[in-house]
Amino acid sequence: MIIDRRSFLAGTAMGVLALNFPARAAAGSGGIIDVAMIGEPPTLDPMMSTADLVGTITQHIFETLFTFDGEWKTVPMLAAEMPAISDGGKAYDVKLREGVKFHDGSPMTSADVVASLQRWLAVAGRGKQAAAYVSGVEANGDNAIKITMKEPWAPLLALLAFNNSAAVVLPKGKLAEPLTEFVGTGPYKLVEHKPDQYIQLARFEDYAAREEAASGYGGKREPIFDEIRFVPVPDPNTRVAGVVSGQYVFADLLPTEAYGQLDGASGVKPLILEPFGNPSIVMNMKAGILSNKKMRHAVQAALDPNDMMLAAFGDEKFFKVDGALYPENYVWHTEGGVERYGAADAEKAAALMKEAGYDGSPIRILTSRQYEFHYKIAQVMVAYLQAAGFKTDMQVSDWATLTTRRQDPSLWDIFITHGPFVPEPALIGSMSDSYPGWWVSDEKQKAVSAFNAEPDPDKRVALFPEVQRVFYDDAPLYKVGNFNALSAASASLENLTVVPWPFFWNTSRKG
Amino acid sequence: MTMARGAMARRVLSRLGGMIVVLALLVTVVFVIVRVTPGDPAAVMLGPDATQADIDQLRAQLGLDQPMLVQYFLYLGQLLHGDLGQSIFLNQPVLSALADRAEPTFFLTIFSILIATIIGVPVGIIAAYKRGTLFDQAVVVAAMLSASIPSFWLGLLLIQWFSVQMGWFPTSGYGGPYAGFFDRIQHLVLPAVSLGIVNSALIVRFTRASMLDVLQEDYVRTARSKGMSEFRAVMRHAFKNALIPIVTVIGLTLALLISGAVVTETVFGLPGVGSLVVSAVLRRDYPVIQGALLVVAAIYVLINFLIDMLYVVIDPRVRY
Repeated sequence: MIIDRRSFLAGTAMGVLALNFPARAAAGSGGIIDVAMIGEPPTLDPMMSTADLVGTITQHIFETLFTFDGEWKTVPMLAAEMPAISDGGKAYDVKLREGVKFHDGSPMTSADVVASLQRWLAVAGRGKQAAAYVSGVEANGDNAIKITMKEPWAPLLALLAFNNSAAVVLPKGKLAEPLTEFVGTGPYKLVEHKPDQYIQLARFEDYAAREEAASGYGGKREPIFDEIRFVPVPDPNTRVAGVVSGQYVFADLLPTEAYGQLDGASGVKPLILEPFGNPSIVMNMKAGILSNKKMRHAVQAALDPNDMMLAAFGDEKFFKVDGALYPENYVWHTEGGVERYGAADAEKAAALMKEAGYDGSPIRILTSRQYEFHYKIAQVMVAYLQAAGFKTDMQVSDWATLTTRRQDPSLWDIFITHGPFVPEPALIGSMSDSYPGWWVSDEKQKAVSAFNAEPDPDKRVALFPEVQRVFYDDAPLYKVGNFNALSAASASLENLTVVPWPFFWNTSRKG
Repeated sequence: MTMARGAMARRVLSRLGGMIVVLALLVTVVFVIVRVTPGDPAAVMLGPDATQADIDQLRAQLGLDQPMLVQYFLYLGQLLHGDLGQSIFLNQPVLSALADRAEPTFFLTIFSILIATIIGVPVGIIAAYKRGTLFDQAVVVAAMLSASIPSFWLGLLLIQWFSVQMGWFPTSGYGGPYAGFFDRIQHLVLPAVSLGIVNSALIVRFTRASMLDVLQEDYVRTARSKGMSEFRAVMRHAFKNALIPIVTVIGLTLALLISGAVVTETVFGLPGVGSLVVSAVLRRDYPVIQGALLVVAAIYVLINFLIDMLYVVIDPRVRY
């Protein structure tokens, strides 16, 4: 579940820190902006990939029926309003907005939406997750659809709103495998994609914006820039130099060591997204020595999260030691079960290992230097595990190799990854039974099923502490802490919102 | 004369045959290596949260679930039709992806080699001529230093000075959709200087060493004793005879640069052949890795061949 950004949520603000700049210049001031991204997206088909880079760029081109507002509540986007849910949570009637056009000029109808959702259910990773619960999607006239469920499943709306493996709407006639024409309803349309050079988007003049005030990803989207160009700049230091020199108005995901340089530079502002995500130590529950729960508890007891986070992120400005699955101020935040977190008690760990009958076999740890903080966490973890009496075998490879090896339960005991604070717990990758690590237990089944089947949002919040308690008891992974992300923007950008997947509608430049 | 020509033709044919064998071996070795290396293009394309079932489905769509031998013969069949295959990620043929990346790499190579040669050859000649002087010692130290500097570090320094502080050049990229020829050239200045300086070190050292050998030869002494000017004696008699190792090192540097100045292209975000290969390796885009390495190897082998042929032109005593 590596994703470089996705997160936030909240009972309170989504960390949507509107920059403290003067009010936006008059709409239509236009101009062209260059945005430095971490690399080239693997595809521009937002259904096909769960990569953040894909979602960040394509959310300007494509739109979903729903999206998230500034408090991570699900709000309508291409849907006219929130759906009417009936039949005990098994029927969703969705009215569509009228007058919405695709970039090719054709009007969006229920036929396009039904065909798009059917493709999403068939090919998108998150769509397939939903497909297990959906019995049908059908048009209800030209401007409404009906989704029928086999059983109530509350995460559906969050999945339909997420820009990651997204349920975007395309013209029925443009759906193809693989997608070759990237035609959406979004505020920007694709002009040219030169791989490794730029992705050029131009303002969609016929864009039909919502009328509600903008909030997070929801409400009115106004394409002000004439053009946005997403430029892959893989070297992080070059991204820093690029935004400081003024070549780029925004640079994504910068090394935290650059904070001082950005803070002191004129014409540029460092942006800290707090919190951004959480590194985690995934344990193999299917095979090997950690398939024994007591051994996983021994790992929990042995580790010191503070030292791991300090080694990984250096400055407390960029991390927080926190064992809860969701940070404070998030609606899902709870302290249930976290007493198992942060003990750093070698004696307790040794006692648990003895109880479990540990035979001294080395713990095989997969990690990658592609994400340097993974490697640093692994190094500190190894020291603590060895201090408790574990033998370790750290195997360092590139990320692509690791993602292949982790699929085979016979090859590893631990791998290091990181993930976001996704708006809906059901979207957390490791919640899935098939995610490497294979968290499967009767207790989990009971707690998660009750949580997912409950349609009432307040009751779901009340059910989540039990999910977290079972998580800590089963110990499928060790959440190390919360970390923040650094990006930077030109001080001339107005109305830029700091969010996990940055967007540039409603944003303009001074002067 | 006819016999010499016949020998030359045989030599050329034998070298060409050898080149084909080298390339055929390379195709096979690269094909096997990229497939036995762990990592999966389907997993990369689908992203970090994809399930194994999704990955398997995409592998089947891409034909990656077939036995390796079947894939190999399909690939050979494509190659024999002049088709390097289709990129898994770029949605375009490998040959077209390479052609798109050829321009920045070509100009970067030309500029870098020009800078390296313009610095390397005269400095090497003067250092040899002034052997043992302070200038010579300074050149030896400077050459050793610049050979030791990592090109990415020099690149970052140049970006800091000339882009961030002076604002003279862009930090990265190759220009946007409306960039003209000179805009694009401007994007190449810093990477070319960074590569040129690093590569000039080797040329300086080879030129100096080669000139030192030749300057002690009898024919140079004879030329001087006949009253020939120092410039003429050094350039016309010594330098001409010192050229073979110099041309060799310039040729090899050129070949290395054409294969993609991987690190420099990555630091400067240049969409060249080097960065294409790097991203293909990270994504496990098998057809691009195979196609790019084949084309690069073909160019490398060809340049080596041309250097060999050039020896005959430079030094008529060379016979094959």
